[in-house]
Amino acid sequence: MPTKWISRKDLKKLPDQWLKQYDVYAPIQNGHELAFQLVKESAQIVWDVPSNPRYPAKSLFLPQSEVLMSYDGILHSVEKVERPKVLFGLHPCDARAIRLLDHALVDEQNPDEYWKSKRQSTIIVSTACISPDESCFCTAVGGSPFNTADSDALIVEVEDEFCVYVLTEKGGVLFSKLPDAEDAQREKVEKLTKKVEAGMPKAFPKKKLHDNLLASFETDFWKEVSQSCLGCGVCTFLCPSCFCFDIADETVRKERVRNWDSCMFRTYSLEASGHNPRPTKMERTRQRVMHKFVYWVDLVGEIGCTGCGRCVKYCPVNIDIRAIAQDALHREFEGMKK
Amino acid sequence: MKNCYEPFPMHIERVVVETTDATLKSFELTFDRKEDCAEFFEKYNPGQFCQLSIFGKGEAPIGIASAAWEGNFVRFTVQKMGKFTSAIHAMRAGDPIGMRGPLGNGFPLGDWKGLHLLVIGGGCAFSTLYAMTKHILHPSHRAEYGEITALYGTRNSGLCLYKPVIEEWHNRDDMVVHQAIDVPEENWKYHVGFVPAVLEEIAPSPRNTVAVLCGPPAMTKFTLPVLTKLAFPPERIYTSLEKRMKCGVGHCGRCNIGHKYVCKDGPVFTLKELQELPNEI
Repeated sequence: MPTKWISRKDLKKLPDQWLKQYDVYAPIQNGHELAFQLVKESAQIVWDVPSNPRYPAKSLFLPQSEVLMSYDGILHSVEKVERPKVLFGLHPCDARAIRLLDHALVDEQNPDEYWKSKRQSTIIVSTACISPDESCFCTAVGGSPFNTADSDALIVEVEDEFCVYVLTEKGGVLFSKLPDAEDAQREKVEKLTKKVEAGMPKAFPKKKLHDNLLASFETDFWKEVSQSCLGCGVCTFLCPSCFCFDIADETVRKERVRNWDSCMFRTYSLEASGHNPRPTKMERTRQRVMHKFVYWVDLVGEIGCTGCGRCVKYCPVNIDIRAIAQDALHREFEGMKK
Repeated sequence: MKNCYEPFPMHIERVVVETTDATLKSFELTFDRKEDCAEFFEKYNPGQFCQLSIFGKGEAPIGIASAAWEGNFVRFTVQKMGKFTSAIHAMRAGDPIGMRGPLGNGFPLGDWKGLHLLVIGGGCAFSTLYAMTKHILHPSHRAEYGEITALYGTRNSGLCLYKPVIEEWHNRDDMVVHQAIDVPEENWKYHVGFVPAVLEEIAPSPRNTVAVLCGPPAMTKFTLPVLTKLAFPPERIYTSLEKRMKCGVGHCGRCNIGHKYVCKDGPVFTLKELQELPNEI
């Protein structure tokens, strides 16, 4: 796939061209914060995104609340023809999360058509994260600020110009008219990549972390870790790879909707009999961490956390999933596999 | 669009009050559309469940209590517990209802051919075992399996489900039925005691035998060690789990134990499989 080159001035004009054929979603200013929203013109787009917008890009494919069916005596599926879309300006951590969620929501037997149709109609153009936030740790969990694996194209800013890695045919359509990058330009990008990656945390030893966490399952480690947790759920709501949802009936609107849910809530796993397999915040915190670092690894062979840092940044009591992982790595749990 | 969240429109054909305290009722549902009926029976395997759906009350996962040969209906035995189950308990024959399914894996009946079966049930969890046993007792399937021993415990005789059919089972010469109640009652002909104790007393042989166990968590917890003591290997002990579920197809995240989803990978697991998962039932 080709590597292209474009000036800042020309890049800023590109979304206006895309808008003729596509709905374009990109980070725009929404009150005090940035959010991935529908763009009316290029000028709205915030180009220098210092850290991830509060809400991850998953919201465009799995909205916080989504109508599944309407009711008129029986339930009918809400069928919406998805317009072709460009999702622009997300970082590789968010792009990776979207690809991870394909595993969770699209299986052969029962694909989630609501997710699938939005995915198929969207071209993902990520921007490399050239100045990662202090809460960022994508390199610790198998990613990179320059990761090309999960996008249709990746844009890297170098000395006020931009390198465009075209990664799929789908992505190529948007950049076909650009000139190819020259060798000297490519070298500049490679240099920058190495420099930024060198300042990022080292990869967790995936297998050791997996095994240690499993060994910690029935220990007081989790009591310690969860002690200050308020159960607010912000870590899961803002997590790009969390996908749990609830299905609820809106009787006035006569609609069956799905809403984001969180394993950090007490009622999430509470059964009608009163039994709750995760009765306290200890079990619930354990579930969140184990899901990312153990269960995802068991299922798809990679860590399910993308290191975007949102849970670290927005936790009201400073619970830090990086610290939990580090702590688990350096402890001896009884019966631990050596 | 084939939407995995859209229920089949169904109607309640018949309601049976199963227990003397009326906390358990069976509902037999028929399909509004022929194609849904065909799709259901093409997939159905005893041990599976469905999401029943009442708009405004939501959905609840309930085990299927009928065998396919019984007819073009699906039976569910429901205990009145929360919002949804109270709503269905107030419904009558002729009322409309939604259903998604069959969901989950069901019992691996194909793997059990040629083996003896030990069926152990407690309380309302007996429903899917009832469906499975009925399936096997059908003349076209019976010869494929060895001896059938059933042990069914309820708190008292009034709480026993499917009384007329179980009465018939006692009279069959191709199965042995042990019934148990927790405390003595006048005119009770069968065992008195909790399921684990009765199981120890009747001490079935593990030779070429599969044990299938469905019951409340306390019964399961104390019965599994008895089976182990009787030398049933963990890969020959099967049980069916319950969890709070929403989607029923492995998407909503709620019913996991470790990396397995009870709705999609279960609800039927062997003891061996459970031993390999984190202890979070």
